[in-house]
Amino acid sequence: MLNKALFKQSCKANWIKWLCVTLSTCIMLAIVIIVLGNLSINDIRDSLKNVFVQANQEAYLKENTIDSYNLYLSTVEQYNQNVQLSNGVPVLINQYNNKIQEYKLANEGVEPPYEIKMQYVQEIASRASTRLPSQNPEIIKGYVTAILIYYIDNPTLAPSNVYDEYFLEQIYLQAYKQSYDEAIEDEMTEQEAVNYATMQATSAKTLSQKAITQYKGDVAKEGASYVYSKERYKSYAQTETINAISQGVYNQQIAMGESEDIAKQYAASVKVISNTSISTYEFWLNQYEESDLENPITEEQIQLARQEACKSISDEIPEKVAIALEELGNMDMNGLIIGSIFYRIAGLLLPMVFVIMAANGLLAGQVDSGSMAYVLSTPTKRRTVTATQLAFLITSLFAMFALLTIVSVISVWIVGGNDFAINYQQILLFNLGAFLTMFAIAGFCFMCSAIFNRTKHSLSIGGGLTIFSLVCTILGLFGSEVVPSAMRISAMNFFNYLSIITLFDTVAIMANDLSYLWKFGTLLVFGIICIIIGIFRFDKKDLPL
Amino acid sequence: MEEVISVKNLTRDYGKGRGVFGVSFDVKRGEVFGFVGTNGSGKTTILRHIMGFLKAQTGEVKVLNLDAWNDSRDLKKYVEYIPGEIAFPDLKDGTTFLKNQAELLGIHDMSYANELIKKLQLDPSANLKRMSKGMKQKTAIVAGLMADKEILILDEPTNGLDPLMRETFLEIILEEKRKGKTIIMSSQMFDELELTCDKVALILNGKIVDIADVNEIKNSKYKTLKIEFINEKDYKDFKKLRYKIVRDQPQYNQVTVKVADKNVNKLFSQIKQCPLKFINETKQTLERYFQEQLFKAKTQSIKDIKYQKKEKRHVK
Repeated sequence: MLNKALFKQSCKANWIKWLCVTLSTCIMLAIVIIVLGNLSINDIRDSLKNVFVQANQEAYLKENTIDSYNLYLSTVEQYNQNVQLSNGVPVLINQYNNKIQEYKLANEGVEPPYEIKMQYVQEIASRASTRLPSQNPEIIKGYVTAILIYYIDNPTLAPSNVYDEYFLEQIYLQAYKQSYDEAIEDEMTEQEAVNYATMQATSAKTLSQKAITQYKGDVAKEGASYVYSKERYKSYAQTETINAISQGVYNQQIAMGESEDIAKQYAASVKVISNTSISTYEFWLNQYEESDLENPITEEQIQLARQEACKSISDEIPEKVAIALEELGNMDMNGLIIGSIFYRIAGLLLPMVFVIMAANGLLAGQVDSGSMAYVLSTPTKRRTVTATQLAFLITSLFAMFALLTIVSVISVWIVGGNDFAINYQQILLFNLGAFLTMFAIAGFCFMCSAIFNRTKHSLSIGGGLTIFSLVCTILGLFGSEVVPSAMRISAMNFFNYLSIITLFDTVAIMANDLSYLWKFGTLLVFGIICIIIGIFRFDKKDLPL
Repeated sequence: MEEVISVKNLTRDYGKGRGVFGVSFDVKRGEVFGFVGTNGSGKTTILRHIMGFLKAQTGEVKVLNLDAWNDSRDLKKYVEYIPGEIAFPDLKDGTTFLKNQAELLGIHDMSYANELIKKLQLDPSANLKRMSKGMKQKTAIVAGLMADKEILILDEPTNGLDPLMRETFLEIILEEKRKGKTIIMSSQMFDELELTCDKVALILNGKIVDIADVNEIKNSKYKTLKIEFINEKDYKDFKKLRYKIVRDQPQYNQVTVKVADKNVNKLFSQIKQCPLKFINETKQTLERYFQEQLFKAKTQSIKDIKYQKKEKRHVK
């Protein structure tokens, strides 16, 4: 099937070309990977990314501030609403305790069973519900029942503290649930979500505790003359919230191992940000209030005020610019330069030149010059000639990419292996893809070389279309999604449909999207079809030898 | 004798009157067959059909009873070829090329190749690209002949050789002929074909005009004599003797006659008394023979054209 002498002849005729192309491509690749790995080209990108990270942090911080601020105010408001109930709670607990004592006396000191306890609770709650005519008795009954059950579960609490503890517990649970749901929505793991929710709930509870203490102190100081208004607690709310948030950030920085000074600096700047956001929030609430004095502020207006207060840099620049900048920040420079530029364009150019020249020289060139006569005047079938020349072409290409693969893997290892932006699997797939692309191109050039008797026809069709493909890929790059939208001209994407190299999908490889597999298959099939056509045509055609 | 190569009614039309048309000939074992013709007359095309590089449009080409196109590979066991166009594979020097060619041919014994190299005074270690035309031709000859197969197909093999080397090469061909090989060669030189060939075909515009038997021409039974008389009377008397006059030039009293070998003595005795300016024999050569044939063909074709014109007139 193959002819050893002819294979040797082809090797002798092409080895210098092969060596030059292979070595220079390998050196190019090694330089690209090592330079990208060492001279962090991502510095600018990182700082750009930082801007957005900081902006997100700032927005988060502001949201947190406003939420805490509202929590403080609503705590005081709610506590004030239920102040009568809270005053009555110790009395109700005493009633309950008396009932238990009675039961114990009647039953020789034995604790009553749970059902009896619940029965007492129901009785007390029913009676209590009628005492506060200003409020819905069912709600009061529910409250009292819940508080007494809480007491049963925590019997060591002093009766005077039970209400406060219950109240804070409710705030804690609510904050925990909300934070946990948020965290799960943000795709945190179970453990992370629990930690986050616990932290948020604890700080909410602490802040509420402070609010209650403040309220109680005011009531105690002023006695009967005390009048609740939301306004008088706003400045407390602001101060406490800012302190709580900055303290939280300070603790966080210390936990992350920063020095005390830096943590203090952070805390100070956080104070400024929090302060600004609360002031903005209040300013907008005032604006809305004044604009329509007759109606109370709507929920919608509150949300608008909150949005204004939580604005960060990313909200202040135009949306398109923000998207473009964010995209630029998220752009994968290594993937772009190594995948889309080196493996699809720069690294293919020299192998292409080799394939175009070699494929032409293996058949058409020898037929055109006439030197094929020396081969075909020996007992060698035309099929053997094509098979041998094809074997040489594919083997030399394979050897080239085998060497390139070794160089690329070593280079990636030098710059940090799997820590590098492109891991071993991806770099291997890049090499495989480039080889298959070159296989398809080699098949096409081989077919042209087998069909045409003239070098000029073989070169202009085979080489011409190959280079055309490469140029289309270069032009198409400016329309492809790897280029950030600020620089992208989507009409240029049209060129990608004209190039066979488009079937080598480096973007899919970087994204681990398996769609690259069928494209690889298409390249392989295309190459094989071309080869079959070429071999059959060469068998049947006239040779001017 | 067995027919080694037989071409029957071979036609390949390249358009615009180029190609070969209805060519038929046979070459017997041990025969040396020559082709002669102008550039582009179709010599190479016929040889390419025999080598199986081209497929006959119509007609058939058989070598050793095998079809030249379909059994092309098997034929190459018996056929060797020196192409008309000298182009070598992209290799470093002649030695590499010859070694590679030997490997392709499957021969291990290079003694015959070395003998040819010595005879042709070739230095095969020279760079293939920088060889002179003659050196290239010598290399091609060695590459073509070294397998020592029974049929040789040579396309203008002496092209580019200096006169001395041409002699050497023709000696090699005669040597091959003595070994009993069947040889087909094309050339533009009549004298070398005359020296080596048994039969020579004249090709004109893709058609074989005539196939000449060289031995017959060389051993012709007629002599062509050119005689110039001093006296006009003798000249006129001679013309009355009814010898076959090929050319008559009365202004010089000169006459060229064709005489059968047996009548030569008679002729001499008849002109013995006449004072002559000179008498000489014009040798019959292949070239002269074909020139006569070509002249006939041309006049025939002119007559044909005139005839056709006349016919057209009749039709009108």
